[in-house]
Amino acid sequence: MLQPLELTNLLSWLDTTLRDSMPVFWVLLIEFVLVAVALLAAYAILAIILIYAERKITAFFQARFGPNRVGIYGILQSIADVIKILLKEIIRINNVDRFLFFAAPFFMIVASMLTFGAIPFGKMLHAIDFNIGVLYVTAVSSLGIIGVLLAGWSSNNKYSMIGAMRSGAQFVSYELSAGFALMTIVVLTGTMSFSEMIAKQEFCWNIFNGHISSIIAFVIYLISGHAETNRGPFDLPEAESELTAGYHTEYSGLQFGFFYLAEYLNMFIIASIATTVFLGGWMPIQIPGLDGFNQVMWYIPSYAWFFGKTGVLIFLSLWVRWSFPRLRIDQLLNLEWKYLLPINLVNILIMVILVLAGLTLTDLFPVLAP
Amino acid sequence: MAEQIIFYILAALIAVFSVLAVTSKQIIRSATYLLFVLLGTAGLYLLLGYHYLFAVQIAVYAGGVMVLFIFAILLTNRPGENVKAERKDRRIAAGITSVAGLAFCGHIIYWNVNKAYTLLVPAEQKVQDIGLKLMGTEKYQYLLPFEFISVLLLACIVGAIMIARKR
Amino acid sequence: MNSIITYFKGLFIGIKSLLFGMSVTWKELWTKKVTQQYPENRKTLVISDRFRCELTMPHDINNEHACTACGICQMNCPNGTINVLSAMIETEDGKKKKILDTYTWDMGMCTFCNLCVITCPSDAISFNNQFENAVFTRSKLVQTLNHKGSKLREKKKEVKPQSVPVVEDKLTSSKEQMIEPLVETKISTPSDKSIKNPKDNTTEN
Ligand code: SF4
Ligand code: SF4
Repeated sequence: MLQPLELTNLLSWLDTTLRDSMPVFWVLLIEFVLVAVALLAAYAILAIILIYAERKITAFFQARFGPNRVGIYGILQSIADVIKILLKEIIRINNVDRFLFFAAPFFMIVASMLTFGAIPFGKMLHAIDFNIGVLYVTAVSSLGIIGVLLAGWSSNNKYSMIGAMRSGAQFVSYELSAGFALMTIVVLTGTMSFSEMIAKQEFCWNIFNGHISSIIAFVIYLISGHAETNRGPFDLPEAESELTAGYHTEYSGLQFGFFYLAEYLNMFIIASIATTVFLGGWMPIQIPGLDGFNQVMWYIPSYAWFFGKTGVLIFLSLWVRWSFPRLRIDQLLNLEWKYLLPINLVNILIMVILVLAGLTLTDLFPVLAP
Repeated sequence: MAEQIIFYILAALIAVFSVLAVTSKQIIRSATYLLFVLLGTAGLYLLLGYHYLFAVQIAVYAGGVMVLFIFAILLTNRPGENVKAERKDRRIAAGITSVAGLAFCGHIIYWNVNKAYTLLVPAEQKVQDIGLKLMGTEKYQYLLPFEFISVLLLACIVGAIMIARKR
Repeated sequence: MNSIITYFKGLFIGIKSLLFGMSVTWKELWTKKVTQQYPENRKTLVISDRFRCELTMPHDINNEHACTACGICQMNCPNGTINVLSAMIETEDGKKKKILDTYTWDMGMCTFCNLCVITCPSDAISFNNQFENAVFTRSKLVQTLNHKGSKLREKKKEVKPQSVPVVEDKLTSSKEQMIEPLVETKISTPSDKSIKNPKDNTTEN
């Protein structure tokens, strides 16, 4: 297939020229640094774009205009905000546990950064392809909660403390169903690596492949992922009306910026994992047999597909966020332990039966298999 | 070469944070240092190429157990409340015990480390293999211990419910 | 068995209501934006008639107002915002009469409760729509409402030409009769009360 806009050629050209001109050690070093810089830059830029998009879409949901003063349609608004946050003073607070207080934002940002690194953004745009990608992502993203707990504890402030406790309870419970939802798809695909998962979804996305079971898992993943990011109806940890800002009440300047950044990027990470696992990742829509159509689809580069699908899911999350009122803590735990988790367990069982009985779409229609 | 440097860094981190975890006066800081120790161990697994073990170490210890630890501390302690130092004779006893334990384990490791080298293959363990090993009933397969552990956990859960139930 | 049914019922009802909620917000996404872009839309900005901005004392072309300096508004104001200073003068026929000297109103203290306007027996004051009231010092918020050299509008002057329409008015409700004298004072300031009153046209004609 012709893929004119793909970055594969550029990347492999870079690699070969570097390898031709210097020893392997230096090549690796340069490439590592390049990848790290690219990831960090992508992290920051995505956060800026997401903040702008969120504010704009939120405004539309509330029949407002949103930011529209800085630049045309306010596109420079979040850049201005970033500059403001960088210039703000980091306030030193008395009677806090200084070491933990300063360490907490780093936990957040490092956890989301580690997860971010494992996401396949496009063809060959995949920093690290673990054999156990899904497990890695669920494991590493759970580190962020420690940052939240430490932030709440070390702030020496009852609001922060309550926010952290709520956040902990919420995260620990919802992580369970997020993991189980992903495991359902691991049962379906028989692999945990993101690249193999994407390769298997060439003609038939996982959400269609496992029909009933997959769709239930998808919905559960979206709900619990949304809950993990502490947003929307699940924003008890930072419920403004009760807890001022929850666990990051005492933070200012760049430290607050870290929490803020991590929150937005976690939203992106959840959406992109859902994209990769359920919606075919960066794979274009392809129909077996229609080569012309497939070729046209391939003209759209894979990263565009990835960001498009992720964007749709992020929009969905915003839509949910501005539709529903905040849950109470008992409702929150009820939802998880009485609904999502049992349904999830049954769902895995159904998926196992579907796979064993050969009732998935790729089994029923072998054309769809890659 | 690079691997060795990373190993020494990790080992130093683990050692330092282990000591700090024991000596720290504030219990929440101890928990945090312990977390760093566990993360360092995960780093060692990653260095060895055991990705699965690495992920499990982080998910179970760092993400699960440590969160519960911190949660328990949050629920039971007040911020700024320090742990009091133990009595001197107890401290000496604890020191002797830990040195004895270290000597015992060190002895075993020292005499068996060569054997372990020949047994372990430095290739990545496939998750499927681990799963089959755990669920199989053949030789070197571990269904029975696996089930025993699950029964143990069940007993723990039931016990916890019994304790938590007020009546 | 029953509990299982209620469990699933609750689940599906919950899903249904959530989807309904999302459909509502979806429609809201496409509604017209209600934001008023203030400095730009100054020309087209619509301020509701009932919005209370500045207290005014309407004066007609003869520089006459309707305030009798009775002080009722001052008494009714919960904040002591209004200060009515009256003066005693001697009329031509030798009677002593109280007239308005200065009528000051401190915007900084006003809660815009409208009590003064409601209780004024001669409808001498009203709120206007002039909402851009930012000033640089607090002293500028204190305003004198009566114009320089203004005087009380004589009521008797207009009674005579009205004799014919008054007959017509008797056919209408007695309530309008009651407020008839008030209406006359309102010629220069049509408020919603006077618009509702059909008699206003007749008096002006
Ligand atoms: S404004 Fe009305 S109430 Fe106030 S002093 Fe004048 S006539 Fe009396
Ligand atoms: S509106 Fe209320 S507060 Fe203001 S002057 Fe009139 S009576 Fe006083």
